Amino acid sequence: MTASGDRDGRAVSVGGRTARNNRLIGAGAAAFAVGMIGLTYAAAPFYSAFCRATGYEGTPQRVETNRDAEGGRVLRVGFDANIAPGLDWRLEPEVESVRLRTGKTTTVYFRVRNLSDKPTEGHATFNVTPEVSGQYFNKISCFCFTTQHLGPHESAEWPVVFFLDPALEKDPSMARVDSITLSYTMFAPPEEKPVVGRSTNRAGPAG
Amino acid sequence: MASVTDLTHHDVDHDHGHGHEHPIPSGWRRYLYSTNHKDIGTLYLVFAIIAGLIGALLSIMIRAELMSPGVQVFPWISEMMTGDGSADAAKNMYNVFFSSHAIIMIFFMVMPAMMGGFGNWMVPLMIGAPDMAFPRLNNMSFWLLVASFLLLMCSLFAEGSPGMRGFGGGWVLYPPMSAQVGTPGPAADFVILSMHLAGASSILGSINFIATIFNMRAPGMTMFRMPLFPWSVMFTAFLLLLSLPVLAGALTMLLTDRNFHTTFFDPAGGGDPILFQHLFWFFAHPEVYILIIPGFGMISQVVATFSKKPIFGYVGMVYAMMAICFLGFAVWAHHMFTTGLSLNTQRYFVFATMVIAVPTGVKVFSWLATMWGGSISLKAPMIWAIGFVFVFTVGGVTGVVLANAAIDRYLHDTYYVVAHFHYVMSLGAVFSIFAGFYYWFPKITGYMYDERLAKWHFWVSFVGINLAFFPQHFLGFQGMPRRVVDYTEAYAFWNMVSSIGAFIGGAGAIIFLYVLYEAFKAKRPAPANPWGPGATTLEWQVPSPAPFHTWETPPHIVDEDHHAPAVAGHGSLA
Repeated sequence: MTASGDRDGRAVSVGGRTARNNRLIGAGAAAFAVGMIGLTYAAAPFYSAFCRATGYEGTPQRVETNRDAEGGRVLRVGFDANIAPGLDWRLEPEVESVRLRTGKTTTVYFRVRNLSDKPTEGHATFNVTPEVSGQYFNKISCFCFTTQHLGPHESAEWPVVFFLDPALEKDPSMARVDSITLSYTMFAPPEEKPVVGRSTNRAGPAG
Repeated sequence: MASVTDLTHHDVDHDHGHGHEHPIPSGWRRYLYSTNHKDIGTLYLVFAIIAGLIGALLSIMIRAELMSPGVQVFPWISEMMTGDGSADAAKNMYNVFFSSHAIIMIFFMVMPAMMGGFGNWMVPLMIGAPDMAFPRLNNMSFWLLVASFLLLMCSLFAEGSPGMRGFGGGWVLYPPMSAQVGTPGPAADFVILSMHLAGASSILGSINFIATIFNMRAPGMTMFRMPLFPWSVMFTAFLLLLSLPVLAGALTMLLTDRNFHTTFFDPAGGGDPILFQHLFWFFAHPEVYILIIPGFGMISQVVATFSKKPIFGYVGMVYAMMAICFLGFAVWAHHMFTTGLSLNTQRYFVFATMVIAVPTGVKVFSWLATMWGGSISLKAPMIWAIGFVFVFTVGGVTGVVLANAAIDRYLHDTYYVVAHFHYVMSLGAVFSIFAGFYYWFPKITGYMYDERLAKWHFWVSFVGINLAFFPQHFLGFQGMPRRVVDYTEAYAFWNMVSSIGAFIGGAGAIIFLYVLYEAFKAKRPAPANPWGPGATTLEWQVPSPAPFHTWETPPHIVDEDHHAPAVAGHGSLA
């Protein structure tokens, strides 16, 4: 190792192999840090896919058809609907709750009305609580799968077709769960969001 | 001692041979342009002391407010800072204060003191390197941190929540509080950018440490002959390198959510605020080990020195630190037991968290075994180190309690958690910093501090901080939530006790300042090795204060015993 000062004699710089190795290790470590930032961004779609696949965080499952036989347990399924600020709609479930046998497919209607004078779009986010029931809550069809469009003062009835997977009977996490709540919040498309801070009404709990 | 003189003389000769006759730059240039690891280390230490005093002042204000039920102190503080003394402004200012207190103590006090200060000063000295691997990068790391601190100070005076000043969402920065919904004003952006710069500073610093420790060791200084402090800095550097980019990424997502209509954490666009918590704690759990592992290293040096014995179970200590680092990345969701994890997920995180008690226990018992049968001299650094072992064990035990998901349901976000992490951080990490500070003070400044005053500093701090935080366990069990400005009458007694303890702890900080003042005034010259035969590491073989350039001719380490490295041809002080 040779030691030599730079022009003003302040820095101790090292030459030859040590300097080369320093640069290699430094570049490797820097690349590692950049890679970690990349992985962080990769976490966002991964997390979303993970929630959809496992029902984590109360994410209901989306299925084509109900192939399960009817099970033995009966649970209460409650409904909750919210409109986020910036969307002048009204959304409410036709019934507050249903009692449902596991494995049995049921249909519930939500009444919606556009209160404004212009056609608007809305998109619903959804989840269920308790969160552990997400993996057993199977939706066959739902208005939340696509963006919805309503003309001025138009109203509609939207169906949600779902069933509870009888496999929940074998899950000890579900043993003491008698009631599941399915919650929706409708949002306006992003560009129609109001300047936040001025809005007085706040979104209800999304889940 | 003769060998030390020979050695330095040799160094000086060498300097002249290679054109080091330039005078050391003086005045502000010496520090602003500095690329010398010792000067940068000194800058970091001064910065940490200033930031620590500001952070301590904030905590004293918080304790003054919590001394009795009702909101008494903060209307006055808010009136003074913003001109608005209303109850809402006072409550907001309280939130701003505890948020800033945490950010300052973590990013601008403990991290700069341990890694920037002691790491910069002592790692090159202890491994026989002439400087850090990238001296200019080192300078950049420090000044980025200053810029970061200024941004945080800006956030205190910028608008946060509508009509309010500062960001009051806690150091965890959870959306939606930190998103447009909770804090539409720029105060949150200032905090995010401040964290970005602090993160960049620490990432650059950790790259520097990794290159230095891997590549700049003196001949014969194999990895397993390194003292434990450089080991601890190396592990911490890896933790930083792995975890801080995750924070940087998460904060960038938050920043674009706030300003550029992305929806990473906004359910309106399919995002999820819980994702932020996962990313944040994937960073922040390793972060708490970042705050304590260099302390482990310092405590190991101090305990071995003042017991006049090599550290017990050196290899085990290294692997224990390594195990803590690995496990630190696998337990993040124990901060999120109440966010709806499935039972099996909770079981895993409970188990993984409890496993950390094993390597931590290895460390605590190794320190005790080092002291066992040693010839202990109770100098100030050793007293701080023994105090550290005590308070860290208390904090560790409450950590095992909190690791249980079932108990955490009850204690989550209560003062029990506040007591727990202050025992490992405010007492543990800070005690290890003071142990290291008194241990290396003679080497850094060339002066001896006053032993009697330093012991006063310890006892006043020890009594004060324990009195402040131990009653908070009771408050937590009684259900007092954290982050509240007001509380019911039922919590009044222990809050009063806690506040009195905090004021005594504040008196300890004033004694510390007096210790510094007295040492620089009295100018008692320190010998190269003031601690006697127990101090065997390389930094004690150069004079005190350590000269501007050291180890330009690398020492040759020949001794097989890792803790008493001898320099070939010069002999060992031990």
